[in-house]
Amino acid sequence: MTALSAHPGRSALHRFIGGYGQEIVVLLSIVALFVVVGIINPRFLSDTNINSIFAGNAYIAIAAIGMSMVIIAGHIDVSVGALIGVIATIAGTLAVNGYPVWVAWVVPILFAMAVNAGVGALVAYTRIPSIVVTLGMLSILKGGLISITAGEWISDLPTEFMIAQMRPFGIPSAVYFMVLLTAVAALFMRYTDFGRSIYAVGGNMEAARAAGINPERTVVGVFILHGLFAGIAGILFATQLQVIQSTVPPNLELTVITASVIGGVSILGGTGTVIGSTLAAILFACIGSALIFLNVSAYWLRAVLGLLILATVLADMARRRRVT
Amino acid sequence: MTASRLLRHETILGVLTVIALIVLASLSDKFFTAENLLNQGRLMSEVGLVALAMTFVIVTGGIDLSVGSILGLTAILLGVFWKNLGLPLPAAMVLALACGTFAGWVNGLIITRFRVPPLIATLATLALYRGLAEGISEARSVRGYPEWFFFFGQGEVLGVPFQLWVLGLATIVAAVILGLTPFGRATYAIGANETAARFSGIRVDAVKLWIYTGAGFCSALAAVIFVSRVTTTRSDMGTGLELDVITGVVLGGTSIFGGRGTIIGTVLGLILIQALKNGLALSGVKGDGTIVVIGLVLIGAILAGALFDRNRGG
Amino acid sequence: MKKLTMAAIVSLGLMTGSALAASAWTGGDDLPTNPLACDGTPSPAAAKPYDGGSPTNPPDRKGKKITVVDVPKLIGIGYFNATSKGIQDAAAELGNVDAKTDGPTKANIDEQITFLDNYITSGVDGILFAANDPVAIAPVLKKALEKGINVVGYDANSIPEARQWFVNQAEFNGIAKALVDSMAAEVGDEGGVAIVTSTFTTPNQARWIAEMAAYAEKCHPKMKWLETVEAQEDNNLSFNQATTLINKYGDDLKGIFGMTSVATPASAEAVTQAGKCGKIAVVGLATPNAMKPYVEKDCVKSVVLWNPVDLGYAAMQVLRAVADGTLQPGATSVKAGKLGDLQVINGSEILLGSPYVFTKENIAGFDF
Repeated sequence: MTALSAHPGRSALHRFIGGYGQEIVVLLSIVALFVVVGIINPRFLSDTNINSIFAGNAYIAIAAIGMSMVIIAGHIDVSVGALIGVIATIAGTLAVNGYPVWVAWVVPILFAMAVNAGVGALVAYTRIPSIVVTLGMLSILKGGLISITAGEWISDLPTEFMIAQMRPFGIPSAVYFMVLLTAVAALFMRYTDFGRSIYAVGGNMEAARAAGINPERTVVGVFILHGLFAGIAGILFATQLQVIQSTVPPNLELTVITASVIGGVSILGGTGTVIGSTLAAILFACIGSALIFLNVSAYWLRAVLGLLILATVLADMARRRRVT
Repeated sequence: MTASRLLRHETILGVLTVIALIVLASLSDKFFTAENLLNQGRLMSEVGLVALAMTFVIVTGGIDLSVGSILGLTAILLGVFWKNLGLPLPAAMVLALACGTFAGWVNGLIITRFRVPPLIATLATLALYRGLAEGISEARSVRGYPEWFFFFGQGEVLGVPFQLWVLGLATIVAAVILGLTPFGRATYAIGANETAARFSGIRVDAVKLWIYTGAGFCSALAAVIFVSRVTTTRSDMGTGLELDVITGVVLGGTSIFGGRGTIIGTVLGLILIQALKNGLALSGVKGDGTIVVIGLVLIGAILAGALFDRNRGG
Repeated sequence: MKKLTMAAIVSLGLMTGSALAASAWTGGDDLPTNPLACDGTPSPAAAKPYDGGSPTNPPDRKGKKITVVDVPKLIGIGYFNATSKGIQDAAAELGNVDAKTDGPTKANIDEQITFLDNYITSGVDGILFAANDPVAIAPVLKKALEKGINVVGYDANSIPEARQWFVNQAEFNGIAKALVDSMAAEVGDEGGVAIVTSTFTTPNQARWIAEMAAYAEKCHPKMKWLETVEAQEDNNLSFNQATTLINKYGDDLKGIFGMTSVATPASAEAVTQAGKCGKIAVVGLATPNAMKPYVEKDCVKSVVLWNPVDLGYAAMQVLRAVADGTLQPGATSVKAGKLGDLQVINGSEILLGSPYVFTKENIAGFDF
């Protein structure tokens, strides 16, 4: 990563903080939150509560991994919420119509990858800004979903389809997915040629091209990967409860993007890690739950959340200025 | 970049809009009537006002996601100042406008002073301002405004809706500022290359601060008109406004990377979207179908512009 | 940097408790309440003169084919699919109505107004609506009346003078009584209860919560309200919020009220997945189909709702009667096809009936 190699003269600790500063800030915030809220209301630290915070929001963290890759490559996707709604609906429809569960899991993920391959190709080869393509995609997916399903709920889902409700060794499977996918994605971004080329393309496209990277192919690849993660997130989203709503989950794209950028992914592209976005997704989930535990007036919840986001952002900016 | 190239997208968009108007008019005889068109103008005024300011923001290479929340916050403050604090309504209006403008200024301050990227800064204030609106109002509506107040949202001057005059005037002012003044040139320069603009002596931070403050003001103005049109305030007003506004602006050819865009393009983009929504509804297409069409038109129009540019060796 | 975050978190701690100062339940509105008598004695209804509006010079539509548009709060959710089905059923039965449903994809006042405006321009004969806001929708409905269009509301009212009639699924205080009584029957008179609602700005939900608070204070004064949380119309969010409540209050939480047809099944699911069936009661508004699994497993004992298909059916019948001129201001009842005679209340409202309480014994007989 460029941030790590930029200051060879500094101490190891300094370099570590320089490379993972935002991740450390977010991690410390999570720890601080658990300590403070746990002191005020020990029930916050019960294993059932921690389990439900992690399991209930794992799909957001997983979607944020793919989103982070897209943003690191210098793009954005505002249609991810609509895509997750569509994936959940396809998965549920397949499951109740008697297809084997693995088909109901895999086909929607392939569909998501195909849709995003199209989005990526449009972005890469026609140079239309990704926000325009995905704004359009948001409309198409949302309108299309409502036209076709009319919001009819899908129920009577087979038990073996509910992958998010399985609990190997007492821990919800969604948590395994979150940890595993974050680790794999982090290693992938750091140690594979393709992963490094994502940073290069996001940092400076022409320089990347000069270094022998094919930026167009990289961008298409990133969007397909993003489709993969969104697909997995959609399957977890679909299998969390006994019914699927067949609608677009409100504001999900904002939550996912917020998690990515608060986790330290620079919106300008080129820097950030997927570990940070997963931590930030967890932080948000913790804050949402903590505010209820702290008896903050329900009317003021959103204002406090906004204030905390702002504080995190400003703290990060202050830190960056000190490091560089 | 020559003026003709700058206007190329606008030309395509203009042709597209005319074609859309002709097709829609042939589909329904209710579409191309003065009454309907004026009414549509009324309905698009709030989005339009905000889109004018958003054009400046996006031309500098920034973005403002908090406009819908500023609208909601201003609406709530208007109600609270008038009903709960007992201020006279005109004073409440001025004060609410000032607060909305202040909210925009805060955005600008976070972006320029603390160097937070605009997307992140306004993502945070999107949540913060909406939260303030909900908290201050405790989710309760303020109703029962006096009759005269409804003039701003429902009244007419010379047969044309009041807010359409406001929008027209604001369009001219915005077009003049962006197209003909040093401030406008500075706006483009910042979007094209911020560092270069800084070195060439442009007071980048001051310009940006003005622009985000302006976006706050326009959102606040839209809030007053909106409250007057619907005769009530609610803390969820303007939710999702930012996406409608950004869609209009980028359809109008303003580059999301900054440095390129015109007010006339934004206006054409807004007209095209509003005409599609209205015309398709009148010719029997349902709302969910209309959303799909707008998505396709957005991608198609930008794609056409991009391909056209490339064929000309652009 | 971190200090800032910490300071914010600590100041949060200081805000603790400020929410509990208010006496009424969070999420209720501030309009006057009218709780029913505890034993259900109907209060004598004050006869009120017709207070609805009337269309300006409507053409004679008696017996003629009319086109009707139905603009619900939003499309693409089960509840309004059901009302839409009822409207289509009635239109098919009447034979001289061409009805369609169209509306925004999210419950947004501005978009709903735009839809209504477009249909007024396109020249429909009748409008059916369920308002996202009773006041905000008024100007555009008044415009429809001025154009001679017949306007009838259902599910969520506007201010009376902006429409002709409103088909009321059940009175607010009746719903409140049914919910609170059902809850008290399960958890006793002294349990702690929490509420999962859509948003605090949704008028019907805010009204119900206010009426529930008033009724509980009057008839079950020891029932302890703990908290109200918002969960939009979102399944997963409702589930997460209900789970947080269960984790937070532990054994102090005896019951959860679900205020929407989304929140109630999601709360039941949260109770089920937490293994608290039988320990935490779930009572709420929901459609029977969504609740059958929980009712059959004895996790949920009572579900309160009217039949939304009947509601749509009645609204269409009323609109036809208004267009035909058979329903005039001052009437005391109206014939609504297979539903028989429906009673007029509050001047210009037509009452569908009392809210229905579904239980294990009868829920299998319903399919919507």
